[in-house]
Amino acid sequence: MTGNDQLPALLIAVPLLSAFAVSLAGLMNRQWCYPIAVAALVAPLLASWKLLVHVVGNGAVRYRLGGWAPPFGIEYVVDHLNALVLAVISLVAFVAAIYSRRSVEKELPERIPHFYTLFLLLVTGLLGMTITGDAFNLYVLIEISALSTYALIAVGEDRALVSAFNYVILGTIGACFYLLGVGHLYIMTGSLNMADLVRLLPSLYSSHAIAVAFILILVGVWAKMAFFPFHAWLPNAYTYAPTATGALIAPLMTKVSVYVMIRLMFSVFSADFVFGTFAQQDVIVWMAVIAIVAGSLLALAQTDFKKVLTYLIVAEVGYMVGGVWLANVNGISGAVLHILNDALMTLCLFLAAGIIVYKTGRHDFGSLQGMYRKMPVTMAAFTVGALSMIGVPPTAGFFSKWYLILGAVDAGQWGFVGALLFSSLVNAILFFKMIEVAYYEPMAASHGHGEHHEVHIDEAPMSMLIPLVGVAASLLVAGVLTREIIMKVVRFTVPPGL
Amino acid sequence: MIWQLDLFILGMIVVCALASIMVKDLMSAAIIFGAYSFLMCLLWTEMGSVDVAFTEAPVGAGVGTVFFIAAVFRTSRHVSRRSEGRLGMKFLGLLGAFMTGLLLMTGVHDFPGWADPNSPASQHVSTYYITKTIEDTSVPNIVTSVLADYRGFDTMFETAVIFTAGIAVTLILRRLGGGGGSHSVSGPAYTTTAGYPDTIIRFISRQLVPFMQLYALYVVAHGHHSPGGGFQGGVILGASFILLGISYDLKTTLNRISERANIALGNLGVLIYAGIGVVCLLLGANFLDYSALSKLLPGATEITARSHGMLGIEIGVAIAVMAIMVSIYVNLASHGKHDEGL
Amino acid sequence: MEYLISKFNYWVYVALMMIGLYAMISKNNLVKKVIGMSIFQTAIIVFYVSTGAKKGATIPIIAHGHGEAAEAVIEASQYVNPLPHVLMLTAIVVSVATLGVALAIILGIHRKYGTLEEDEIMEKVRQP
Repeated sequence: MTGNDQLPALLIAVPLLSAFAVSLAGLMNRQWCYPIAVAALVAPLLASWKLLVHVVGNGAVRYRLGGWAPPFGIEYVVDHLNALVLAVISLVAFVAAIYSRRSVEKELPERIPHFYTLFLLLVTGLLGMTITGDAFNLYVLIEISALSTYALIAVGEDRALVSAFNYVILGTIGACFYLLGVGHLYIMTGSLNMADLVRLLPSLYSSHAIAVAFILILVGVWAKMAFFPFHAWLPNAYTYAPTATGALIAPLMTKVSVYVMIRLMFSVFSADFVFGTFAQQDVIVWMAVIAIVAGSLLALAQTDFKKVLTYLIVAEVGYMVGGVWLANVNGISGAVLHILNDALMTLCLFLAAGIIVYKTGRHDFGSLQGMYRKMPVTMAAFTVGALSMIGVPPTAGFFSKWYLILGAVDAGQWGFVGALLFSSLVNAILFFKMIEVAYYEPMAASHGHGEHHEVHIDEAPMSMLIPLVGVAASLLVAGVLTREIIMKVVRFTVPPGL
Repeated sequence: MIWQLDLFILGMIVVCALASIMVKDLMSAAIIFGAYSFLMCLLWTEMGSVDVAFTEAPVGAGVGTVFFIAAVFRTSRHVSRRSEGRLGMKFLGLLGAFMTGLLLMTGVHDFPGWADPNSPASQHVSTYYITKTIEDTSVPNIVTSVLADYRGFDTMFETAVIFTAGIAVTLILRRLGGGGGSHSVSGPAYTTTAGYPDTIIRFISRQLVPFMQLYALYVVAHGHHSPGGGFQGGVILGASFILLGISYDLKTTLNRISERANIALGNLGVLIYAGIGVVCLLLGANFLDYSALSKLLPGATEITARSHGMLGIEIGVAIAVMAIMVSIYVNLASHGKHDEGL
Repeated sequence: MEYLISKFNYWVYVALMMIGLYAMISKNNLVKKVIGMSIFQTAIIVFYVSTGAKKGATIPIIAHGHGEAAEAVIEASQYVNPLPHVLMLTAIVVSVATLGVALAIILGIHRKYGTLEEDEIMEKVRQP
């Protein structure tokens, strides 16, 4: 349309307007909802890719909403960090939308229009959280994402309602703490715009109110990203959510919250304050170590493979938080790269898990029996995802772990190195256990008189399989292209002077 | 701002807050919560924030309390006797509350004194808004101009939040047809369902509703010059339908706005808002930059076009909020079945 | 004493926050938890609106009309700070939206488990 200038606005406007289109279309005919949703998500995919290319080539993009100059109006800022995260969100949303059709028809047949409306609103909220340059606007978008997530989880199976309620309570505490932190910043500076705050705050670094503001914002964001010990809502919420919901929120919600933490740490409070004045790196890295170890151990104790994956998410959040607080180039690069890699890995594993749930209706370990014969392609993709979680080259997971370990060594945080290696070991045990169950079909299941009969290949439907294969392939591609990604994008996200 | 009144209201607020979480009867808790919200409105008015008070009145004390009552009516009214025995959670709660309180008090230490006109919050950005609003937008109500123009993007998402909540409640609760064995309503029989119609309530509600709606339209239209605007007007409009639903029965409300109409209107409202933004885009300016509308509207300069743009989006907000408030009430009161309400 | 009075609003908001947080975490009944959540959110609103107050200032609507009022110079110190009001309008709306969704989930839980007491629900959840 009008060239690159209006891309930031279009990135948000298209999913938002399409949410209404889906809702209105759903009043007339349910069949239109899915195609409209998928078509709508092409636009953010293209727009975020164009923005990424533009930012890599020319530097940060700024956009004024309503035509008002900041700090009087709201501003969008796209720099290397958010361009990357925007691209991740758009990609995951697009893939999850394509994948969702069969499972939504099976699990929520009468509620398709409302589901897709909330799906699109959630994507809009996540995109908005990433692109905004205004601290209060961020809160409003956090709440849009949160409200749609609560409902999308609540319509799942079994304990979904109770899990959704717990998420409502903890999520509200998180968002409100964040709001309170922004209030403290406002009362001391009079501004809400991020670029303005980073200019006004340095003279106030010694004030108690600013330290309290930082702690409040940090705790709020930690509650939203399920950083141990605020993780209690995540395992149940993600396990019992409908398949299509899980595919969208599991890879994204926590990573976007990690992005918010990084954004506030470096673009509002500045690295000088966080690592210099506030200086609690050791405490927080140890908290991350505990998160990783606890997440991994709790994952080992589970008998439900979806629960296992959710506890692994808790551990991965520990990687990212610890990586950022290592306060050096390798650590932060590793954490940012991990946002990309973990989103892809989690998406791959959840898509595969979702297919198994779609086919068998259960998600305990027993349902994995014989899956390698019945669904070879799905399980191959699952294996790629598993290898990435364990950290085997050339899958993407290896490279971010590598940078994190380098960063930990640089910073002398041997506990963190230990936790990363421990987690890889536990992941290896867990995934080999699952792969073993899936590979060997137990003899008791065969009906015949001892003869080995043909197992039909009962593969997943194409609309679910193709996205899965695509994501598994992207894990390999992202791994191979790591150097490119680091040099062109991630390197610029680290604040100068570290 | 009379500080003695301020102190008194603040004291009452704390008392109400404590009372509403401690009483054993949930209906009383809901009503006390309504009183709490109402005291909040008084507090806001006393501190000079009339628009906030105006919003809190229908939203918090009005519709919010009705939602609570609908939910309590549909579930159970009493807190179980043995429920207060979970020491572990109580300890955790006390610990959490205490630590947060301590943290916040450390912050309060450094705050500028209350009501100091030279505090940082009162300088900088807000000074610009106050001094420039007539020049930039020709709208005297500064809260409206900031809400709808300077920070109009926030408001669009706020309307989207309301819309999301409406769809979310529909998604969670809506049951088509008679869903299996619904739990019997355990609240006491109210006069309107005991067999005889409640003449006084019905008569008065019927008289009030048209005036409420007229007033709501006034609030929306006059929001530029007096306290008011889209949200307040929309909630009052919604409340008028809810009043019909409470004083007569749910069918009366649903006959006037059906479920499909609610969803359609909710969409329409936010579409108007986002649509105006897109129109500005198409006319060559940035998203939600109303000055571009001067090309479309005859006789408007760039500045007055902003005023008109603001009115347009306020109308959108009012429609959306009305539809969603009614929708949430209908779903909560009828437990999703849309047959009978409170 | 002066110290206490000059920041009284802020002490009250801290007290309300503590009440709300305590109710959200330790109350057994789900409706009480939601009431706690609402109190928590309104406490934040008390905080923000208090930041905007100004001694001797009037409501943030520019005095306008004909004659003398129309010619007056606009002084920022005459009007209460409008920005926190705008933010809190949004916060009120968000809090009622969250209230609606939370109550909807509670109704769903009641339909499924027949009770709104957290310990009874956990018992029923554990035995499928």
